[in-house]
Amino acid sequence: MKNYNKLKEYILTKQHRALRRRVEDDLPALYSAEGLSAEERMTRRFEYLCAHETPVVLPDERIAFLRTLCDIPHIYTEEEFAALKSEKRLHELGFHSNVTPDYEKLLRHGLLYFCDCTDGYGARSIDALISLCDRYVTEAKRVGNDEVATTLERVSRYGATSFLEALQLFRVIHFALWLEGNYHVTVGRFDKYMYPYFKSDLDSGKLTLDEAAMLVEEFFLSFNRDSDLYPGVQQGDNGQSLVLGGKDENGCEIFNELSRLCLEASGRLMVIDPKINLRVSKDTPLEVYMLGTELTKKGLGFPQYTNDDVAIPALIELGYEPADAANYGMAACWELIVPGVGMDTANIDALSFAKIVDRALHEDLLSCETMEDFNSAIRAQINKEIELICRGTDGLWFIPSPFLRICMDENADGSYKYNNFGIHGTGACTAADSLAAIEKYIFDERSLTKEELIAAVDSDFCGSPELLHKLRYETAKVGQNDDYADKYLCMLLSFFADSLEGRRNCLDGIYRAGTGSAMFYLRHVEDLGASPDGRRRGESLGANFSVSLFAKTGGPLSVISSLTKPELHRTINGGPVTLEFASGIWSAEDSIEKFSKFIKSYIAMGGHQIQLNSVDLETLKRAQEHPEDYERLVVRIWGWSAYFTALDKCYQDHVMQRQIYSM
Amino acid sequence: MREGIVFNIEELTVHDGDGVRVTVFMKGCPMRCSWCHNPEGLKAQPELLYKRARCVGCGECQKKCDHEDCKPFGRCLHVCPYDCLTVAGERYTSERLASKLNKYKRIFDACGGGVTFSGGEPLMQWEFIAEVIDRLDGINIAIETSGYAPMHIFKSAVDKLDHIYMDIKLFDAEAHKRHTGCDNAMIKENFLYLRLSGKPFTIRTPLISGITDTEENLSAIKEFIGDAHWEKLPENKLAGAKYDMLI
Repeated sequence: MKNYNKLKEYILTKQHRALRRRVEDDLPALYSAEGLSAEERMTRRFEYLCAHETPVVLPDERIAFLRTLCDIPHIYTEEEFAALKSEKRLHELGFHSNVTPDYEKLLRHGLLYFCDCTDGYGARSIDALISLCDRYVTEAKRVGNDEVATTLERVSRYGATSFLEALQLFRVIHFALWLEGNYHVTVGRFDKYMYPYFKSDLDSGKLTLDEAAMLVEEFFLSFNRDSDLYPGVQQGDNGQSLVLGGKDENGCEIFNELSRLCLEASGRLMVIDPKINLRVSKDTPLEVYMLGTELTKKGLGFPQYTNDDVAIPALIELGYEPADAANYGMAACWELIVPGVGMDTANIDALSFAKIVDRALHEDLLSCETMEDFNSAIRAQINKEIELICRGTDGLWFIPSPFLRICMDENADGSYKYNNFGIHGTGACTAADSLAAIEKYIFDERSLTKEELIAAVDSDFCGSPELLHKLRYETAKVGQNDDYADKYLCMLLSFFADSLEGRRNCLDGIYRAGTGSAMFYLRHVEDLGASPDGRRRGESLGANFSVSLFAKTGGPLSVISSLTKPELHRTINGGPVTLEFASGIWSAEDSIEKFSKFIKSYIAMGGHQIQLNSVDLETLKRAQEHPEDYERLVVRIWGWSAYFTALDKCYQDHVMQRQIYSM
Repeated sequence: MREGIVFNIEELTVHDGDGVRVTVFMKGCPMRCSWCHNPEGLKAQPELLYKRARCVGCGECQKKCDHEDCKPFGRCLHVCPYDCLTVAGERYTSERLASKLNKYKRIFDACGGGVTFSGGEPLMQWEFIAEVIDRLDGINIAIETSGYAPMHIFKSAVDKLDHIYMDIKLFDAEAHKRHTGCDNAMIKENFLYLRLSGKPFTIRTPLISGITDTEENLSAIKEFIGDAHWEKLPENKLAGAKYDMLI
């Protein structure tokens, strides 16, 4: 009899990490000496890693595969890679990321099916992976885990015939994609492609609901086996996002019994992976929101909600086919991406709205007679910056991934259906608040001269405590449901969307505007002074689509009222409203219902995406002092949840600041 | 047009009625309950609140200023770089408050909810609230009251509101007087009216250890209110922090 709790304890206490070893061979040097092509190097490395992985089958597991090689050597020597970077436009690490494989076809067919329809590299990769599976079978038999041996014996070759087989095959493919060197490999619409296996096993009596729940939990645990080895900006930023619910191509909600099991399993497991994204609409029953809110209450920082009513029509408007639009999932964080056919680079760059205002303040304000003049200057600055950003994406090239290619749906000519680029937009509320302040004090009240404002901003408000107070705390802000500031948020986002409209990228795709920040809420202030809204030098921007950190909002209702005013369907690349609540709110018994209705109202009002953080400031402070006691304390960062104590201090501090100001 | 004084408008409150609520806290209360968790609601006049945790002791607020609104407080309200000082108690005309509340209609329409008047004791400013309600755009209105108000005011409120949350804290007149500073005869009379009014209502008893949570008190209340909808609320431990904020 298998003891799942023992397995869980084993993984969560990281005992499995003792089985890891380093790769001994200098692969880049070998490949360089032979002068191999990128594709050959990727294939050779994958073959090498598959051959050198040590199969580990744990006695209590039902779903196997554990990384034992802790480092993946590069395919290029340092010199080669430096040369490549100067020659081509690479994105981040240069390897493919933020993709969702077509799990539906992979689970149905197994890997052998694809040998015929792929090139030599793909076929070699399949061979390498099947050999590894076979070695796992041998090991499973050796240790007496017959269930794993039986499951793995056929599933990698021929596809899944049961829920357990489907979960195991997913695990093999997910493992392989990371091993190949891809990163931010996402999970996609899990309750859609897994549901037929789940339902068939339940209907036939092969599986009870309780057994299925247990399997889902073990499966979720598997995302936490190797995740510390995955590359990301911080631990936790690994893109293992899973999508639940939402409409199908006929407009029917797919949220099902499996979706519910997933939410419940995540709440029991209380770990950061997989990150759950819930697709909802104004038609989604309150009960679904309540299941999601139960997770928020537990402090996991997810689900992140996306509104089908906004996302689907907007994707169609951007040129996605209706069936693809209806099938959208999430890239690493919350960027919309279509499983199988979406090779979009959804996070290629970011526009800093705060920087735009700063430039216009210094370059244009003195020559502006009216606020309208200044608004035109803002538009021109955005257009100029976007032109540079877009030009910077020219020549984009990814190191080819033969195994990933099998997992996606190529066109006949080897190209992909969607090759769009997404651009984040950071600090929109800081910028909008700054414009509101400029309108009020320079052009409306005329209580401040342009020169005085510029000088105050340049001096970081030193010596102007009253002006600073007025700008920070006594001026209209986004988040107060006051059109005086909100109209600028609308304006900035529409200028952003306008600036990208009609542009084609180097892969003949389009550009998508978004309200996400990723890590730019910190990076974009590194070379920026103070802002006219009273933000002092060095103070961070809000995470994603959030109000300014120090804005005195009217409360969460005013915040969502402000943030649903812009034409959000024009900026759908991704970027949720990110709200902070003190964990004390959950002590009231009607809090789950209140917060569910709150989220549902936001969706009904035309909001695009939203995520809620529920933390206790005092706990965070204690965790900074005694990290050893708070190893499993979870917080939401920008598009992923993390263990608080594993974060760099700047990210910890930002979470705490958001919390301090929300009190 | 009447004016009222409000010490807070809080969004997404819990325990304050159906759906998504906005609670308007009216300043001033005739009672002085020993366990009060909204001490800044007691006095009818504006008071200064100080967020000690944010203060770095820079002393800016102690410098002399000539702002008219700072005079009653002896400190400058317009210089604190960390926003430690706020005035609890803002004057509203009924028109301004109604127009602020009407802006929530979009949210209430989306998923249900409404406005709840609380305090302090909202019935102390009932004429003002009634004027606000007349200007609201079909919004569900609830009230949280101690029930300590003259009968004609109480009646007028019950007739105008959608839901009434009324406290019966202590049944014994003597104990009531001792712990709240007020007699409860008026509260009992008002309850009898409420019960026959046909309006949806909820009776609430805050459970205060050794004071209201005694077997004797709870069974006397039970006998008095019969099968009326009754909620017993656990003690609010957060009150301490707010006392600390009053200067």
